[in-house]
Amino acid sequence: MTDKNLLLAIFEDIDPAAHAVDALRGLGIHDEQVTVISGTPITEAMLGRKHQWSNVTRFSLGGAIIGFASGCFLAFATPNMYPIIVGGQPLVPVPPSIVVLFEMTMLVMLISTFLGVFLDSRYPSYTPKEYVPEISDGRIALLLDCPGDMEATITKAMTEAGAESVKRAEAQVI
Amino acid sequence: MAISANALPHAHADEHDHEAYLRKEHLMLDPKPRGEMNALVMESMTTTSWKFWVIAAVMAAIVAIGLFGAWGYMIANGLYLTGKNRPGYWSLFLVHTVFWIGISHAGTFVSALLRVFKAEFRRPFTRAAELMTTFALAQAGIQIFAHMGRVWLAYWMFPIPNQRLLWTNFHSPLMWDFLAINTYLLSSTMYLFLPLIPDLAMARDRSTGWRKSLYRILAMGFRGTEAEWTHLRIALNIFAFAILPVMFSVHTIVSWDFAAAMRPGWSSTIFGPYFVVGALQSGVSAVAMVVITIRYTMKNMDYFIRKEHFDALGKLMLIISMSWAYFFFNDYMVQWYGGDKWTDALLHFHEAGPAGWIWFMMLITNIAIPWLVLWNKNWRRNPVMLFTVGLLANVGMWAERFIIVPVSLEINRMPFMWGQTFKPGIEVPMFIGTVAFFILLYMLASRLIPLVPVWEVQEGQMAHSIRKYGKEPVVSVADLE
Repeated sequence: MTDKNLLLAIFEDIDPAAHAVDALRGLGIHDEQVTVISGTPITEAMLGRKHQWSNVTRFSLGGAIIGFASGCFLAFATPNMYPIIVGGQPLVPVPPSIVVLFEMTMLVMLISTFLGVFLDSRYPSYTPKEYVPEISDGRIALLLDCPGDMEATITKAMTEAGAESVKRAEAQVI
Repeated sequence: MAISANALPHAHADEHDHEAYLRKEHLMLDPKPRGEMNALVMESMTTTSWKFWVIAAVMAAIVAIGLFGAWGYMIANGLYLTGKNRPGYWSLFLVHTVFWIGISHAGTFVSALLRVFKAEFRRPFTRAAELMTTFALAQAGIQIFAHMGRVWLAYWMFPIPNQRLLWTNFHSPLMWDFLAINTYLLSSTMYLFLPLIPDLAMARDRSTGWRKSLYRILAMGFRGTEAEWTHLRIALNIFAFAILPVMFSVHTIVSWDFAAAMRPGWSSTIFGPYFVVGALQSGVSAVAMVVITIRYTMKNMDYFIRKEHFDALGKLMLIISMSWAYFFFNDYMVQWYGGDKWTDALLHFHEAGPAGWIWFMMLITNIAIPWLVLWNKNWRRNPVMLFTVGLLANVGMWAERFIIVPVSLEINRMPFMWGQTFKPGIEVPMFIGTVAFFILLYMLASRLIPLVPVWEVQEGQMAHSIRKYGKEPVVSVADLE
């Protein structure tokens, strides 16, 4: 990131930010070169940007499968390691096993979902980042990788779209 | 983007008056700039009077003496200090375990179920409710560990084999409890933490000193990029849908600890849903009590918590009270009609035995009082009345568990063992200690984490507006997800 020429345009509201996204496209800046940062969730559709990819559901599914397999081990395999008949039940009774399968599936699935957010978002990350505290006060920021020869043009376009400020983005400890 | 519009009552002749009424009534229609809301929440966290610390010190002393001191004394001297005696081997520790697990259900119910159904009034107090789940489960865990006696052997319940490869019996209801309560504790703690991350980042941006360091670590570098919000939104949706069956499973499994036994009064096929509804009865009542306490003791909370929230919680409490009455009567009716002589003896013992007054108190506080008070909108919206009804409902739910555990254990199929052997023991100061511990944890949390999820409130405010149908101003809600 340090080799890039990063600009940070701050907007007070969503409409000027959406206009700015359109203006950037008009100037030939690809969506991949722009990162939207906000203090409130803003869906991609609101700014007319393409859908963000997330692996969280895959982590969940993987966790559910691992949890189910762990439940199978606890419910079906462990009684066979040291067979003891309890309460006149079969060694591996099905109805009580369903409880174990359910709980283990849900447990590992939810842990995987939680870890999925961490892995997909690369948490924790304490390295310096381009950020300004005004964002958590409700501002919307467009962090864009700006070709050096277009800086003035882009700054003008952002200002015309309604940006409160456009400045070089500097990574800082947050 | 789905849009729904609902006309609200109390339309005034002057539409501007009505708009002003709507904005005053509904937090979602009364937006403030985000920076201002952040400042309100930060101020509520950092402004602490000396009274707060006095109460916290008293709570800490009760926890130290009533809970840990008494527990240590019991470990040193033995379980004879409890009220347990033959035939009542399960006594107040189990009553209090079920009581605290019941309280814990409110967090998930309020946060997850209302999130799934997009009930907008939930937004300012979801975190307060989620905290309740984690803190109440901690108290339930303490009761279970205390009931074990030799608590240092608790690891015997862990799913690890001994040297002969003998594993714990996963087909036993007690192991289901272990799995279900731990699953619920871990999931609800994760569900508490995920939506907290953006608010921790907000607090990080507005803090200095040790708070800055703490929030910086906990926020983990969150900036609010599109990708971060997307991952968070997907995860919260998965959690909201998945944690609900976990919530139902926990109290159902707790009920199976009783229902799976062939005892009069316990062997009931309806115990699962009956326990779940009972848990919601005590839990939602406790949420109402916490919300009212936050509203009147923390600075700036009058902006976030309004009469509309008391009203909504009051309606929930009324509906749940009706559901509880339905399940109670269903359970009672079938057992009464069955004609089993031992069950008849037990039911008679419930109503006319030495603890009969507790049985009647249970019905009065769980059914009569909520129904008499909560049907009235003005009474529902009165914080003193709502708090009192919530407190009484919790007393009533404690009584219900008391009737189910020690009182029911007095009557079984062996008449020579009948008798009321229950006496209050060391569980009483330990229970008072857990109540103090619960309050203390809440008090400390209120100083350390934003109790109001500001980003969720702002998201809700973005989705709400006032439209006009003819001359009638109506609330309009857009589905922004």
